Amino acid sequence: MEEHMHPMDSEPERTGYREHLLDVIRTGARRTGCGASEPIHVFVNQQRIGQLDGAGTEATLQVRHQTPIESVHLRSEDGVLLGGLSTPEYGFKSSRIALMRDAVELRVQNTAQGGVVSAVFLPAPGLWHRARRAFGRIVGQGAPRPVAAAGSGGRILAVAQILLAIVLIGHFADRITGWTTPATQPLPVIQADIPQAAPLSEVAKLEQQLIELAQTQTKTIETIQTQQQGMAQLQRTMAKLSTAQESVASNVMTVAQELEHSRKGTEHNVDRMTRVLMNKNRSEREQLEAEIHSLLIANDQLSRERTQLEQNYQELKKQLTSSGQDISKTTVPDRDKLVMAQQDAPPQIADAKPIRPQPPFLLWVSFSEGTSQASIDQWVLDMHGRKGAFSEGWQAVEIVPPTEPMERVLDQIKQTKIVKAVKISR
Amino acid sequence: MSGIGSPSMLNRDRTILDRSEAIARIEDVAATAEDFDRIVSQSLPLLLDRTVGYIKRFLRDTGQWSEDVAHEKFVLRWGAEYLEQFLVSGRFEVPCRPLFLLDSMVAKQHSRPEPFCYHPDLLTPLGRFLDGLVGRAAVSRDALIALYHHCYGLGPGQVIATLRLNGSESPRIYKNFQRWRDSGWKRTLEDIGLTAPDLQGLTEQCHQQRRRFNGEAERMLRFVQAHYRKSEPDHYPCLSRHQWEDMFLQGYGIEYRIWHLALCLNCLQTAWDLGFAGASAIEKPRVALQFQP
Repeated sequence: MEEHMHPMDSEPERTGYREHLLDVIRTGARRTGCGASEPIHVFVNQQRIGQLDGAGTEATLQVRHQTPIESVHLRSEDGVLLGGLSTPEYGFKSSRIALMRDAVELRVQNTAQGGVVSAVFLPAPGLWHRARRAFGRIVGQGAPRPVAAAGSGGRILAVAQILLAIVLIGHFADRITGWTTPATQPLPVIQADIPQAAPLSEVAKLEQQLIELAQTQTKTIETIQTQQQGMAQLQRTMAKLSTAQESVASNVMTVAQELEHSRKGTEHNVDRMTRVLMNKNRSEREQLEAEIHSLLIANDQLSRERTQLEQNYQELKKQLTSSGQDISKTTVPDRDKLVMAQQDAPPQIADAKPIRPQPPFLLWVSFSEGTSQASIDQWVLDMHGRKGAFSEGWQAVEIVPPTEPMERVLDQIKQTKIVKAVKISR
Repeated sequence: MSGIGSPSMLNRDRTILDRSEAIARIEDVAATAEDFDRIVSQSLPLLLDRTVGYIKRFLRDTGQWSEDVAHEKFVLRWGAEYLEQFLVSGRFEVPCRPLFLLDSMVAKQHSRPEPFCYHPDLLTPLGRFLDGLVGRAAVSRDALIALYHHCYGLGPGQVIATLRLNGSESPRIYKNFQRWRDSGWKRTLEDIGLTAPDLQGLTEQCHQQRRRFNGEAERMLRFVQAHYRKSEPDHYPCLSRHQWEDMFLQGYGIEYRIWHLALCLNCLQTAWDLGFAGASAIEKPRVALQFQP
């Protein structure tokens, strides 16, 4: 038999099985077929003590154990070991076990009296929550942000100013060189000649040019300042624009995420609802099948009982027929015996006239107040009577004609507790 | 003739060298959980063999060992279970020496009264089927619900009726059944080392001598259930007929019913005898093994 082969013969089988188990261990918790919303079973000392319902919300399970807790394991619905920890014989230990997306926080405390384990399921934050947190982070960084903006703006401004200064200096140099070049080229000659050769008008003209140059320089400085102010304003506008743009982008992202979230939520809900309905339908079908099955069984049973009853009826009928014949056989001698007995009876009885039925005797009875109808009926029954008409508080009662004197009968009736009065005529 | 430098000798030397290196590695201290994961994942075969060696020794010492493939598979299965638990728990024990930690964990397991479910009869294909199935049910609700089908032939609707479950619990039962059919069944068979020919053989035996086969199965099932019922909480013991009646009438103890009745044939029959709604339409639960999910 395969199970009792020599180890050498079964080596490939053993090796294959060993490799499979190693693969299973390597794959570990990834092989679970359960979804994120499935319950997580909590085992203490290899015993299942309860479950954490991981349906997207935080859940807690706390259990006190009579004996110290040695190990805590978390398993999925399909039995895959998701995490766990060994605990010290005495003291406190806690750990956070990360699952696929969520986490479970385990806290164990062992004392001389036993152990307490607390497991808290911490669901992963949803998409909306993460988007909100991201938005919060942006808003939270709102205060330092202008500084950063100002920093970068300042850098931009500085660069722009340098560029502007270079341009202006170049322009200014160009202007100066433009003005001086014609003069400088012959300068060695002119300069040497000026003190003597340059007329006063030329000096005045030069002075005028210098004044114009100074004015131009002043205007240039003013222009530069104006441009700097314009640049600063431009930077502020750009910073505002940038902030507004970020805000719009953030809002767009939030809306997109929200839409995505709601879309997924709707799909999920529809899927869930479909599954629930299908399961319900299946459950009802199963239930119906079970009921039909039970009805069939009950029907069979009823049929059997009916057949049985019919058989019993037939037997009874036969018995009745046979009993009837027996009775008819036994009746004849009885009748003979009765005749003989009548013949043997004393003469006064034999000669007695047949009793003729007498008409009932009518009484009118008034009952005490508060007497219930049931009591009246019972009294009439006791009297072997029958109730008649009821008129003006008097109840007609027909009784068997008494053998005793009428007055005595009436007295007896009057002594009855519920009877207030009695009379013969109306 | 194989010389000193022949390829086979070299390979053997290389293997011995690798093994020595692996042992040296897992004897080192793992300072962080990441270190632990890394060191252990590199030495899994070595750790499995070490654990298997300990279990073999335990069985030899207790006179339960025999040189055959069934025993080999048995120790491999339990070794893998120990190793799996070591992997998830050990990373919270850092800093530690993984090899010594594993040794201490196995020693702790073997100091229990009955560390694992062992009986010579449970090493046959039928015994392995029952042992594996019920053992799995002790840690998996899917497998637990599937027990009602594999042991007693009950479908989801009948399970719901017999246990008198309410509406909210019913879809979960169907889900358990579905997941078991989809993946749980196949995985469990692989994990307990039951092959397709084994299953085929069991099915044929069952068809040929159904009554005798199921009688034998019932005897083993009672033994296995008694062992794995210890994995229930202490507050899930067997109940009297009156207590079951009260529970069913009052409508409490859903978890109690599901977990205990799957692992206790006597209590399941007692509950059925109560004849509550739905259960009367089902035949009294008896062992009738099913080899398909």
